Amino acid sequence: MGEVVLEMKNIVKDFPGVRALDDVNFEARAGEVLALVGENGAGKSTLMKVLSGVWPYPTYEGDIYIKGKLCRFRNTREAEAAKVAIIYQELNLIPGLTVAENIFLDRQFCSVVGIVNWGKVFSEAQSLLNQLGIKGVKPTDKVGELTVGKQQMVEIAKALSKSAEILVFDEPTSALTDKEVDALFATIRQLKEKGVCMTYISHKMDELQLIADRVAVLRDGKTIGEVTPMNEITMDEIINRMVGRDIKDMFPKMEGKRGEKVLEVAELHLKHPTIPGKKLLNKVSFAAHKGEILGISGLMGSGRSELVSSIFGAYRSGVSGEIRLHGKKLKIKRPKDAIDNGIALVTEDRKALGLVLGQSVLNNMTIGSLETVAQQWGIINKAKERNLAWDYISKLNIKTPGLDVAVDTLSGGNQQKVIVAKWLNTSPKVLFLDEPTRGIDIGAKVEIYNLLNKLVDEGVTVIMISSELPEIMGMCHRILVMCEGEIAAELDEREATKELIMEYGTGSKKKGE
Amino acid sequence: MNTRTGNTNFMHQLAAFLKENGTLVALVILAVIFAFMDDAFFTPRNITNLARQTTIIGIISVGMTLVIIINGIDLSVGSIVGLAAIMVTLLMQSGMNVWLAILVTLLVAGVFIGLWNGFWIAHYNIPPFIITLGMMTIARGLALTLSNGSSVPVTDPLFPKLGGSYISPAISGIIIVAALVLFFFTLYRGIQQRKKYNITIRVQKIVASTIITAAGLGLAFWVFTDYRGIPYPVAIFTVIAAAGIFLLNNTMLGRRIYAMGGNEEAARLSGIRVYRVKLIVYSIITTLSALSGILLASRLNGASPNLGNMFELDAISAVIIGGTSFSGGVGTISGTVIGAFIIGILNNGMSLLGVPTFYQLIIKGLIIILAVWFDVLSKRKSA
Repeated sequence: MGEVVLEMKNIVKDFPGVRALDDVNFEARAGEVLALVGENGAGKSTLMKVLSGVWPYPTYEGDIYIKGKLCRFRNTREAEAAKVAIIYQELNLIPGLTVAENIFLDRQFCSVVGIVNWGKVFSEAQSLLNQLGIKGVKPTDKVGELTVGKQQMVEIAKALSKSAEILVFDEPTSALTDKEVDALFATIRQLKEKGVCMTYISHKMDELQLIADRVAVLRDGKTIGEVTPMNEITMDEIINRMVGRDIKDMFPKMEGKRGEKVLEVAELHLKHPTIPGKKLLNKVSFAAHKGEILGISGLMGSGRSELVSSIFGAYRSGVSGEIRLHGKKLKIKRPKDAIDNGIALVTEDRKALGLVLGQSVLNNMTIGSLETVAQQWGIINKAKERNLAWDYISKLNIKTPGLDVAVDTLSGGNQQKVIVAKWLNTSPKVLFLDEPTRGIDIGAKVEIYNLLNKLVDEGVTVIMISSELPEIMGMCHRILVMCEGEIAAELDEREATKELIMEYGTGSKKKGE
Repeated sequence: MNTRTGNTNFMHQLAAFLKENGTLVALVILAVIFAFMDDAFFTPRNITNLARQTTIIGIISVGMTLVIIINGIDLSVGSIVGLAAIMVTLLMQSGMNVWLAILVTLLVAGVFIGLWNGFWIAHYNIPPFIITLGMMTIARGLALTLSNGSSVPVTDPLFPKLGGSYISPAISGIIIVAALVLFFFTLYRGIQQRKKYNITIRVQKIVASTIITAAGLGLAFWVFTDYRGIPYPVAIFTVIAAAGIFLLNNTMLGRRIYAMGGNEEAARLSGIRVYRVKLIVYSIITTLSALSGILLASRLNGASPNLGNMFELDAISAVIIGGTSFSGGVGTISGTVIGAFIIGILNNGMSLLGVPTFYQLIIKGLIIILAVWFDVLSKRKSA
């Protein structure tokens, strides 16, 4: 193993109300693959954004040393100049351009008068692809017509064309097929020989065993333990470091009294929108009952959100399967059908999917159920509407200066409560919540937990997705663990442990084991 | 000391008033400038004409406001004015009853074409710019084909009255006074309701809207009782604008339109049937354009297939000057009405002053850019 190339010391990064990184320390060497693991929200991506100048100095505290030299990047360009390259989950390629154009995007080979030397562009790109042993990609191919795996190869080639010495992969395999993963690993091994320092962010334990040399664990924005060589640590120990925190009495769990079966889902499938043959959901079947909270756990990209969105009718096509409510088969073609049948969904992405930003708290609250405040001919009874909104504001304890302020001026927790109010007013029988407490402070979290308990008490069937294990375990009576579009396990609250959920979620324990 | 704080307070209120009613202030300033430059401008006769000229674009602009709020655009409106004018005159020429001809024109040139536009836009998710650009050419082509490229005269004696007659001055006066009474009644009811539900009452806003309404109605009273009364098209435009304001503020459809413009995906996931709303909105605008075309043919006592050329630009300008955001979700019809009158005053005033048409185009273009620049600037400051 080579010299230390990258050192990050005492990195602290604060977001409003949250400390995302809290004194993070680690170092990476030339010619190694350092695995950076942790639960969702542990701070991995934030750390890499600090490294790549996305969060510029001085919006963070601490020091970054590259080859012993203190670096303070004020933008991504400076990081690039220091030979740092990050390959993000969402690729930064321009689909309409060719592979060669993408690789040399910011420095075309031009003559003095600015005429592009296409011959050189394509031949340089070809030799780069050859060096990396990338097959099946021609410099003249349009990037948009390549598979995601091949696009990723192009992204790697692009990074290396700038002679990057520090390469970060942010969950690179989440969209790849097995074959593509093999090809990626072959490339990574080659780069290792060339002495590139690589950091590999992933949740997938089996992958780490194949590719990583050492591992660093992040939890709640802190590095847990030392950077450890892979052959000196077991998977169990890694998982322990990832989840090892106690569930405090943050979770006001109620006693589950499983009642009648309300929602039944059988053989639900969801096709990938662009890749033929790939399935985002495969043979998913489960039932939800009255009187208990059903939890859905799993890693990002395991199909949790896709599952609830499919049931809710959010996809225009590609869904097949059977959904029954109180034994009656439902035909859900659009969200409106789901809502009319008493199914509601608090979406994961509050700003993009949940709220109409820029519009008032009042409008956001009643937009899903205008019928309840309208008279004949669709004319809104404004007095009734305001009354109703005030009721929710006091019932859910929403802190807002008024009904007419733009909803974006509220805090994250209060925004979330506005969304919950919106759905409660549709009188749901089944309420799905996708990451209901993400990005909101602890006080608001507890209020939401209490509210969920109250709803269960009132006879609503509550189904909650969360990537935070303590939350899932602290609130739910039954837990479905998803892995790669399938339900890997259904765990009762008595048998569920963090380790077990993690093992099923990462695929290190398979269905039925 | 006291007077100084009083003064700054007043300045603050004035600044807030100017910011909220910038376009209205611009309208007044323009009117004052033209009034000083030409004695013929501020006369009941000229203002009556100005109002009647503005209604043609104004009616289309009401629909255009809805379309732009949902993040769309409709470029076909000008051609539909031409098509509707040709259609209604041809139908009457063939012996059809006036009212039936108008109804058929509204249904075919209006509702049907709107549904067609909306279908392509909503079903295949094609940018409205392209679909309506296509319809702009198709409708113009249809107008030229149907009329064989030449003008169509009006044969029916009743039809020209629609665009050319007036409500008598006496009845006009009564209507305007009734409008004032209605305004005070709704104001009173609004305050009562706000008190009942304990909502803060913004005194400045109430005072401002009272002054604006009283001044506007006062002007209307003077103009329309002194000359020949309210022109029919102005009355029709007023009803349409009022209906549009009511639609946006007080109905489920209005809420859905705003929500869709602000965040279409969130709106869809809240159970709004985006497809249906798009069909409705695109039908509204083409129907209003067809109505505009009918009124224009009536006033001109004949139709030419080239009627309505470039109307889409004036309509879009009116909406943008009126403060509707091109990025969707924000906008009012009252703003659009003011915007339409700004364009109307420019057209009318510059013609009175004898500014050559070529220069008029340049000035109008500059004013549109200025209005958007002002909008961007004020948004950046508040952000």
